[in-house]
Amino acid sequence: MRAADLLGADVLGPDGRRLGEVLDIRLVQDGPKLGGSRALSIQGLVVGTRRTASHLGYDRAGVRGPALVAAVARRLSAGNRFLPWVEVAELTAGTVRSAVSELIPVPDLPDQP
Amino acid sequence: MAARVLDLTLHLLDRQVVDQDGGLVCNVDDVDFLVPDDGSPPYVVELLTGPAALGPRLGGLLGRWWVSAYQLLGQRHDREPDRIPYQLVTDVGSAVTVARTRAELGIHPGEDRAREYLVDRLPGAGHESG
Repeated sequence: MRAADLLGADVLGPDGRRLGEVLDIRLVQDGPKLGGSRALSIQGLVVGTRRTASHLGYDRAGVRGPALVAAVARRLSAGNRFLPWVEVAELTAGTVRSAVSELIPVPDLPDQP
Repeated sequence: MAARVLDLTLHLLDRQVVDQDGGLVCNVDDVDFLVPDDGSPPYVVELLTGPAALGPRLGGLLGRWWVSAYQLLGQRHDREPDRIPYQLVTDVGSAVTVARTRAELGIHPGEDRAREYLVDRLPGAGHESG
């Protein structure tokens, strides 16, 4: 499965209601051992309706930048939510079916090394 | 120590891949996940690079054109991306560092031809900006 298969996929709730699209894939380094370290496994999906601002990271990663840019980016990504992978019920071509109808706020990313 | 957490499009996709001497290898155009049979979460097993990796991310007609254009400019006759096994990754930072050189990985030079015919002909391509 490629990331391209998930990114941009529609996310539907258990009742078929559209919750948004996959904007990003959150990874945690707790998978099987690969080489000298553990693999990056999917922790969950960042789901939203506005792709533009999310790629800048203002909504998740404490990115510091011009105040006006940050304010606009945060406003645009205010509706983003997080779907933990354990709540993914089904994956079909172009669609992710969530087992829950209400998604949680996107957890902040820890500071990167 | 807590496991490292990162977001694919923020920290991995479109990053430069370099070897351990800092030599350029490629860009991360996509990644391949292995989906375990036991229902545990999918995990990254390969970095993908090249027009056949980037095309599907662009999607639609543009993506298909992208792949075809690179086939015309390069020497590729197949539609498969170049692949780097994830166990060769030694660091994920501002660039992704791998334990092999581009030559050792057999990364296709097709992009160099596109650079020669397109990018290098742009005005100012031959010198750094002031």
